[in-house]
Amino acid sequence: MTRINAVVRKEFHHILRDTRSLMIVFAMPVMMIVFYGYAISFDIKQIDAGVVDFSATEWSRDLARAFANNRYFRIHEPPPGGDPIAQAEKKLRSGEWKEYIYIPADFGDRLAAGRSAEVGLVVDGSDSNTANLVYQYSQQIVMQYMLSMKNLEELIQIRTHFYFNPEAKSYIFFIPGLIAILLLMVSALLTSISITREKESGSIDLLFISPLKSREIILGKTVPYIFVALIAGVFILLFARFWFHIPFRGNLLVLLFFSLIYIFCGLAFGILVSTLASSQRMAMLGALLATLLPSIMLSGFIFPIDSMPVILQFFARLVPATYFLRIIRGVVVKGAELNHFLIDGGILLGMSLVLILAATGRFVRLRRGVR
Amino acid sequence: MSHANGTAPMIEVVDLTKTFGSFTAVDRISFTMGRGEIIGFLGPNGAGKTTTIKMIMGLLRISSGLVRVKGLDNRRHLPEIKRMVGYMSQKFSLYPLLTARQNVEFAAGIFRLPRSTVKVRLEELRGLIPAEMVNLKVEDIPPGIRQRVALFVCLLGDPEIILLDEPTSGVDPETRRRFWQEIYQLKKGGKTLMVTTHYLDEAEYADRILIINNGRLILEGEPGALRRAAGDASMEDLFRHAVGSS
Repeated sequence: MTRINAVVRKEFHHILRDTRSLMIVFAMPVMMIVFYGYAISFDIKQIDAGVVDFSATEWSRDLARAFANNRYFRIHEPPPGGDPIAQAEKKLRSGEWKEYIYIPADFGDRLAAGRSAEVGLVVDGSDSNTANLVYQYSQQIVMQYMLSMKNLEELIQIRTHFYFNPEAKSYIFFIPGLIAILLLMVSALLTSISITREKESGSIDLLFISPLKSREIILGKTVPYIFVALIAGVFILLFARFWFHIPFRGNLLVLLFFSLIYIFCGLAFGILVSTLASSQRMAMLGALLATLLPSIMLSGFIFPIDSMPVILQFFARLVPATYFLRIIRGVVVKGAELNHFLIDGGILLGMSLVLILAATGRFVRLRRGVR
Repeated sequence: MSHANGTAPMIEVVDLTKTFGSFTAVDRISFTMGRGEIIGFLGPNGAGKTTTIKMIMGLLRISSGLVRVKGLDNRRHLPEIKRMVGYMSQKFSLYPLLTARQNVEFAAGIFRLPRSTVKVRLEELRGLIPAEMVNLKVEDIPPGIRQRVALFVCLLGDPEIILLDEPTSGVDPETRRRFWQEIYQLKKGGKTLMVTTHYLDEAEYADRILIINNGRLILEGEPGALRRAAGDASMEDLFRHAVGSS
């Protein structure tokens, strides 16, 4: 018993002195439940949708207003110039709209004549959960519109098209998202130990006293992993394609181009973690927690960003997976093209540069003996 | 203070101090190193030898005092100083998972040695260590051979000043003797060397010794002269006496 007591006492001393582990045990769950509790919501507010109104009558404008006045929707018109249908479909493909409401040219005339008219709901079906909610909300609005005009009851027929994933298979939506999360996690993990490993072994001193510039060391440590992570990314993608039969509708080169930027961002984050952490264990834990949790909870992987409180939407915009998720889902599921994601790609590149500069700055401080 | 050839000091350390919180690891030590000198830096474990070397190399921030290398303040001219000084660390000098050849190639890359020079250096490496060890991972090479590779790598940038922190730690007496022969060759080639060691017999090889204890410099001088002044005491007695009375 005395010997067990000795071991117990020694362990308590360790626990109490390892404040970082204590933080993880106590502070982290509290922080997570407060932070992510707000993110967990499948409700959708502020759905971006378009109205393509070929009828241009009082009837069709009333219907468009019914959508616009509803709190679930943010209604837009197709950009001017060109075929409005083609423009609307481009918006669906790029992910800017979740739906467009198609009002045919004879809509107003038929209703005025007391005959039945059709309205089309073209829904982005890539995310089957969101698509179903969008459809239900839209159907409700059309019904309410009919009820509000007493003489229209049951005169409007709704025709619905689910684009990109007509069979509503949820894995077609989730697996590309999973690839985005895994790619970020793998990239960050790869570099997270690269500097801490040298700190632990003492080899960091060799680099510190070498004529190498700090930025040369940081870039030299990042570049090899770009290839490793890219190969891992291609492997995951091929696995998803051939094992889960995920359709690949877009251009592989476009996806590889954005993947390269995204991987660089993950690696840069890993390097930054590596300069901050004191041990390889802490670095790996830090890289895992900092990439995995925000990517799952805030990137739109499960919960729609638009339904989150504004403050969480702000944090969601700081998560690299938020941008790549849109890209990979767009390219893989919807066949979107390079020009649809130039802003997302630009933001990822900007994030990568900020992270790599921060890592270099931190490395310079370490090198000057500021530990 | 006189130096081996009477020229300006290669390294000048003035009132160098390092504190960690309330603990003073190095306490106002001052010394100089002349061109072509071998300085033996002695002291018990934890005396402050490595901390001093790390401050000279800019690996630790100086709490107070100053270090000048060939007249350049190391807080302002570290990049230039790094090109002049080679450092072989006590803890780590080679990447254990790389082969001896790959370690040499890595260091050659850092110093931007031309391809033709690297080829020559690799030939020299083959002459320095058994050929079968050139392509062996460093962790699989015996400590004595590893030491020679580490020194070889340290010299790739052709530094004028070489700081060797416990270079002979953990190797057999014959390897230590051969190592010191190499150090003499370097001195002949005009290099200035500081060697920290806790092997007192090695102190005899140095032109001058510095004994440090509890962060303070307690004895400095030419080994033979110091022993004669202490009544022909052995180096061990000299050391024990200096440390005991500090």
